Amino acid sequence: MNKFLKKLMNINSKKQIPSNSTPSKAQEIEMKNISFETIKDEIKKIFGHTADLKADDILVGKSEAIIFYLDTVINTDFLKDMLGQTLESPVEQDIRITSVDELQAFGKKAFGVSGYKLIHTLSEMTETILEGRIAVIIKGVPAALTISFINSEGRTVSEPTTQTVVRGPKDAFVEDISTNINLIRKRIKNHNLQFEKFKVGNETRTSVYIGSVKGIVNEKILEEVRKRIKDINISAIFESANIEELIQDKSATVFPLALNTERPDSVSSALLDGKIAIITDGTPFILLVPAVLTDFFISSEDNYQNYFMSSFIRMIRYLSFMIGLLMPSAYVGVLTFHPELLPTTLLLSVIAQREGVPFPAVIEVFIMEITFEILREAGVRMPRAVGQTVSIVGALVIGQAAAEAGIISNIMVIIVAITAIANFVFPNYSFANASRLIRFVLIIVASILGLYGVLLVLIFMVAHLSSLRSVGVPYLAPVAPFIVEDQKDIFIRTPIWFQNKRPAYLSPTTLDKQKPQGSPSPPKQSKGGSGD
Amino acid sequence: MKLFGKMLISVLVVFLLGGCWDRKELSEIKLVSGMAIDKGDDGKYEVTVEALNAAELNSRTSGGNAPSLVETIEGETLSEVSHQFSQYYAQYLVFSHMKLLVIGEDVAKSGMIDFIDYLERNRELRDDFKILIAKDSKASDVLKVTNLYRKSSSLKLSTQLENMFQDWGGDPDMRINDFINDVTLEGKEAVLNAVVVEGDKKVGATVENMNNVTPEAIVLVDSLGFFNKKKLAGFLPLDDTRVYLWITDKFKNTTLTVQCGEDEYSAVRIIHSTTDVQTKMDGVRPEFNINVKAEGYIEGTQCYKSLDKIETFKKYEDLVSKSAADKIQKTVAKMQNEYGLDIFGFGEIMRRQHNNQFSKIKEDWNSYFAEAKVNVNFDFILRRTGIRSDSFLDEVEK
Repeated sequence: MNKFLKKLMNINSKKQIPSNSTPSKAQEIEMKNISFETIKDEIKKIFGHTADLKADDILVGKSEAIIFYLDTVINTDFLKDMLGQTLESPVEQDIRITSVDELQAFGKKAFGVSGYKLIHTLSEMTETILEGRIAVIIKGVPAALTISFINSEGRTVSEPTTQTVVRGPKDAFVEDISTNINLIRKRIKNHNLQFEKFKVGNETRTSVYIGSVKGIVNEKILEEVRKRIKDINISAIFESANIEELIQDKSATVFPLALNTERPDSVSSALLDGKIAIITDGTPFILLVPAVLTDFFISSEDNYQNYFMSSFIRMIRYLSFMIGLLMPSAYVGVLTFHPELLPTTLLLSVIAQREGVPFPAVIEVFIMEITFEILREAGVRMPRAVGQTVSIVGALVIGQAAAEAGIISNIMVIIVAITAIANFVFPNYSFANASRLIRFVLIIVASILGLYGVLLVLIFMVAHLSSLRSVGVPYLAPVAPFIVEDQKDIFIRTPIWFQNKRPAYLSPTTLDKQKPQGSPSPPKQSKGGSGD
Repeated sequence: MKLFGKMLISVLVVFLLGGCWDRKELSEIKLVSGMAIDKGDDGKYEVTVEALNAAELNSRTSGGNAPSLVETIEGETLSEVSHQFSQYYAQYLVFSHMKLLVIGEDVAKSGMIDFIDYLERNRELRDDFKILIAKDSKASDVLKVTNLYRKSSSLKLSTQLENMFQDWGGDPDMRINDFINDVTLEGKEAVLNAVVVEGDKKVGATVENMNNVTPEAIVLVDSLGFFNKKKLAGFLPLDDTRVYLWITDKFKNTTLTVQCGEDEYSAVRIIHSTTDVQTKMDGVRPEFNINVKAEGYIEGTQCYKSLDKIETFKKYEDLVSKSAADKIQKTVAKMQNEYGLDIFGFGEIMRRQHNNQFSKIKEDWNSYFAEAKVNVNFDFILRRTGIRSDSFLDEVEK
């Protein structure tokens, strides 16, 4: 087994390709070393036979020029207007640009200070063209003027699909990164909110932003995140999950070590708590680190509801986590090893129900749980049009027919149903998935060792949880290590005027959130008043 | 990698060597709800178990068959016999849900309670089943009477006894640990509730017994059996069970009838009561002071006048106190004079309060008990008069 694994690793290491040999990266050739006549060939050499690369000869005033662009990336309607109004008919018709300084002056005049960008190397130029800019090269000038014409068509901001709330903001992130940052900026109008840009993925060159609030975020943690993002050496990034997998502290775990959310309000409040947001271009899911276990039991709606209600709901979430995790294994364990634990009447009714069921309890549980997982996966993957068919067939097959045919007992249907429902309570989908897997381990162990085995697995699970770190922060914080001050928003939600400190386990630069204050009290009666 | 291998081995060891040893599928077990011990002809004991027929106890799956299977095996030890029941039953018997242990009168009288060791030692059995004596019949007969409530005899009896204990005070609430305690204590004799099977036992053992409004056979709580060391010594009427609970401070609730006029009676419901027994040695004669504090309300009265006056309340309080004190006096006197057995545990209280004096006389405690002076100080407080003050009968007379 060991040898086999080692062999596998060796093969992998041999296959590694040096990262800088990727073809998309153009050589660092400066513009001044290429003549105006050959530049077309140079660019075409870099891009190869792509059909959407356009190179058009134009006149800027009196100077000859070429523009390069990818017509699938830029907005061609804008380009046409621009060509007519600015480039080909500049304000002064007889302008002639001969030097970099003149090009800069022209750019400033025509497009404003931030509308253009001067670049000097071929590789830079390639990158800007890929980003959706057009590059204008004027004969005799050793620099290129690039203007953004990005076609930002995409989904408009709509309601969140995975993290819905009854009361609270109904907007969710979209695939476009600038829209996403805009959604956060709209909520936190603060100059300390900063976004650092990184390019990740050797082939995809995906934009990744690290968002944080200066003066709140712990600089050490921020530096660690920065370092991990920089260290990523991978060919492609398509979703924030790829980043999550590449920056997490320990890879062999089923628990998510970064919180993903598509809610701008969750991200904003996390940023103000001292967390760091990792925003990836092309996905509506934003990562929040460091993430601790208790984060996954908190919904942003908790803060928008009455705090007694929120606390109660939070307890329900913890309870349903336990139910979702333990119900099937407890059923197997108690029925096959510890029938004395059930009240006599309940046990009698279970025995009566299970009479004639052909399978042992553990097989019964497995059949039902696997069937449910199949149905669930089918429900996610199937085309929308056949959705109803699957759910009707599923409900009928599992719920009624199987129990009526005597293949499984009625109580088993109840167990599976309550387990499934309990699993859907989580505000965060990825954490629910973790408990789904552990549930199966628990069922197997319970069928061999009973409740003793269940406890054994739970002990291992807690040991594993306490060994986890999210960007260096203990995963079980603030419960282990126990921080009294942080308990105000963990198992219960205290009123927000009572939560005057930021979570200490994140060691934020400034711990105080606001000045301590009480809840407002009714105005005092003047002396001699009748009181109440 | 080494760590992985080690962990794999240890997990496999736990699973392959330790797993599944006590695994029993539900369809392969049968719950035992009651056990009865009689004197055997061939073996020392005749052991009867009532094993429940689960499908019959569930109204959805019930098919009108017998609710339980009662079978008897003789043998020298309970432990061997309990594993021999596969002679009769297809499934494995599970004793952990046993509710009732019935001891035959003949077994109790001859003091053959050695089998209790097995019940106490066995890891599967709980210690919360009730122990009964079957008076005037074989213990196995008690388990063979069907009834409508939960159908099985032992399931019915366990609920019945609990209610009797809570509502009126007719069951001493003896569990196995209480019984073992009382048998071993030097200053206390054990008691057990006694039940009788009334009616035709043959019909009682059939499903038809459940078809009658008044069943042909029924098990009823009859009296209080008391022991002299290991041997059953006699029975006290049910009324004395209540006094027993009162003195031993296990009392829950009861209704007491007092005479308040010529052929006129009142009933008070007593809902709280605490008992404190003080003992002392008056020379060679022990003296017990039983102080009872009780609270209650009028549940019904035939002497209906002036129930809104404080004097009437006082009158009732005195009446109840006197009547209850009388009952306690009589029961203790009966035990002193007729049997000379201290079932109330005065000796045990004295051991705790005056250890030196008790240890001198503990060998012969029961004879000292018989000579003892008993003072009862009953303090009853009347709290309410139900939801009426004056009775309607008052209006009728006007």
